[in-house]
Amino acid sequence: MNMKTLHGFALAGVAVVLLACAPLLISDYWTGVLLGMTGYVTLATAWALFSGPTRYISLATVAFFGVGAYTVAVLNEVMPYPLVLLCAAGIGMIMALMVGLSTLRLAGVYFVIFTFGLAELVRQTVSWWEVNVTYTMGRYIFLPFEGRHIYWQLLALAVVTFLISWAIGRSRFGLALKALGDDETVAAHAGVDVTRIKLLLFVISSTIITLVGAIQAPRWTYIEPSIVFNPTVSFMTLIMALLGGAMRLWGPLVGAVPLFLLFEWLSVSFPDHFSIILGLLFILIVFVMPNGVLAKIDDLRKGGRT
Amino acid sequence: MLEHVVNGLVLGGTYALVAMGLTIQYGIARIMNLGFGDMIIAACFATYVLFTTFAINPLVALLILVPAGYVVSDLIYRILMKPLVARAPDEGALEVDSILVTFGLLFVIQGVLLALFGGGYASYSFLNTPVNVLGTVVAGNRLLALVLSLAIGGAMVVILFRTRWGMVLRAVALAPKSAPLFGIDTDRAARTAFAIGGAMAATGGVVLSMFQTFTATAGVVFTMKALIVVILGGKGSVPGAIVAGLLLGLVETFVAAYVDPGLTLAAVYAVFLVLLLVRPNGLFGKA
Amino acid sequence: MSKPLEIMNLHKRFGGLVAVKDVSFKLQPGEVVGLLGPNGSGKTTVLNMISGALPCDGGTVRIGGTDITMMKPHKVAKHGVARTFQLVRPLPTLSVAENVQLSLAFGKKRHWGREARALAEEKLAFVGLEGRGDERVGNLTYIDQKRMEMARALASEPDLLLLDEWLAGLNPSELRIGIDLVQNLQGQGMTVLLVEHIMEAVRALCSRCIVMSAGEKIAEGPSAEVLQEPAVIKAYLGDDHA
Repeated sequence: MNMKTLHGFALAGVAVVLLACAPLLISDYWTGVLLGMTGYVTLATAWALFSGPTRYISLATVAFFGVGAYTVAVLNEVMPYPLVLLCAAGIGMIMALMVGLSTLRLAGVYFVIFTFGLAELVRQTVSWWEVNVTYTMGRYIFLPFEGRHIYWQLLALAVVTFLISWAIGRSRFGLALKALGDDETVAAHAGVDVTRIKLLLFVISSTIITLVGAIQAPRWTYIEPSIVFNPTVSFMTLIMALLGGAMRLWGPLVGAVPLFLLFEWLSVSFPDHFSIILGLLFILIVFVMPNGVLAKIDDLRKGGRT
Repeated sequence: MLEHVVNGLVLGGTYALVAMGLTIQYGIARIMNLGFGDMIIAACFATYVLFTTFAINPLVALLILVPAGYVVSDLIYRILMKPLVARAPDEGALEVDSILVTFGLLFVIQGVLLALFGGGYASYSFLNTPVNVLGTVVAGNRLLALVLSLAIGGAMVVILFRTRWGMVLRAVALAPKSAPLFGIDTDRAARTAFAIGGAMAATGGVVLSMFQTFTATAGVVFTMKALIVVILGGKGSVPGAIVAGLLLGLVETFVAAYVDPGLTLAAVYAVFLVLLLVRPNGLFGKA
Repeated sequence: MSKPLEIMNLHKRFGGLVAVKDVSFKLQPGEVVGLLGPNGSGKTTVLNMISGALPCDGGTVRIGGTDITMMKPHKVAKHGVARTFQLVRPLPTLSVAENVQLSLAFGKKRHWGREARALAEEKLAFVGLEGRGDERVGNLTYIDQKRMEMARALASEPDLLLLDEWLAGLNPSELRIGIDLVQNLQGQGMTVLLVEHIMEAVRALCSRCIVMSAGEKIAEGPSAEVLQEPAVIKAYLGDDHA
């Protein structure tokens, strides 16, 4: 490990400690904002872990997020909380394996289409199950958590996600991911087990996303399918990762922070036109900086020099 | 039993119709349009407004909305898609860009519909008179929907396979790189294809609104079903889309009738999964 | 270090078309052999079946006694078969060195970190790209991209190298460089199967040639003799010249 990495770690460590202390100093409202932001930073980073280098755009973020939240809603009275989280992670993992095994052998577009409808499928199936099998619609979550407790858990998950992303980026799997994003055939002939690596990364990414949903679930107190399977979550995650740059470690963070604040303001100021503004903003990002703002800054710097 | 077959064919006919539009957009213009279903829903609401507010018959609405769908899609192509086509280094990059932009478009259209009509169910009653077909009773509007789907879909097939113009479009679908060598303006062909797709989405919307309730947020499901039909039939294959559309309509109706109406989407997905595993290139696709 | 390649009764159909019909041949360790034939004769299909890019419909491929017939490409690579592509295929988001490091990391042995970087420089130096590891692949000239692709193939430490028209599209002076490179490989004892149209290169490099036409092997033997055979001339130039 060289000096630069060490400095980076020291700096990140200080930032995490400061962030962890923040709820003791700020109001509950701002803790809530910080909580939501941390949730999206984690979602966007986890999303970019797989979809960034491979360019397999997953539109199923909320399918996993919602499954995580629902698992907590169903199990929170049956078993201790850590076990509930473990179950959520397990269910997310199995779901990702099933989706991955059936689509990742094929061209990317099949994966996109499959994930596009997945959230709706899961939402409808869960609703059907609740109505016809368990005879409940909507569930309560009674866990003794305040906002800051949830925030701390999310912060820890965010740190873990960054560490995973950093480690993968430095490992030979990071190189393989970038290679297969460019040309799967070449990567395969260089000895990369393309399907396996895609599957592995998709499972890791989806499991983290499921956990974000699970940890955030107690925030709602009351949960029903239409709340936790809200497609806006998939959309916001995607737009944040793209704005910052999905190919870089810090890209999703750089995109998530300003966009989250913007969305908070928009949803309060223009509740009825929220998704129109969101859609237009998204189209703008795809047009103006398809590789994200960090890449754009790099380009500008290089352009300035020559 | 027969009742379900007829209902399945009605639904399937509409699916085939809209999927033809999507397969033309994807196969010829190379745009994977995730906002397609929302265009259908927009047409549903437009028909609804024309009918309830201006007392305009849906058949007349067809004459207004289909050209409107063409023009709007033509504009969308000129403004949003053309720059993407121009900057894409290869087909894969265009696919990714078009997926992203049309995903944004989805939220814009949905947002507009939500702002105008809210999130509730909408429907209107048109030609709801029972008609006797082969011993079963079918609503008149459903029968009309089937006839319209078959007529318009059939006309489309004739245009694509019997006219010079259709041949040009198919040539672009098969060989986008060599088509210009034969003096074909691929840009114009792609734009036309995208616009035709939009016109067919509008047609589908009008037809669908005659016999089904709809909500502002239902677009995703229609896009999904149309996409599955396109893949089922093989990318860019019009006959494939027709067969697959009818098949999907039948599967859905039978699942709704004999299993549970809440599981239709799950059934559709199951069909999709089985197909992906068995025939990834579609029923009519080339290996 | 090289291993022999043994191909028995290889067969491939595309729908009704038989692309490769009962093709058998052997390569001894350290041999450089040309696989020739007019366009559409099935050469690249044979290459694709050896490297695992296409499943075969019949026959066996053995490398050093190991049956690799139905293996996936990444497995074949790990068994010591490396290839280049008809049109060069650099990985544009990776640097030149990273392109090579990919094969080092996932080839027969697992090289990673500083050691891999040094090895990549070594391979790049061998093909004439010393000190250019940090450049973007997109900035390389055509011949340099071809060199990079060769370095990438060699980095997996193969026992057999498949070159699919690797010399095509080069100008005469570049061609000389390319031929020298393959000769250097030969000097190191590498087994090479070369699909090639440039006769000058075939004569200079290949001790032996295999000629295919319409999916079948029609001739095999020392290059000078094979290229004189009436059947070969007929396959290439048509009946009038036979």
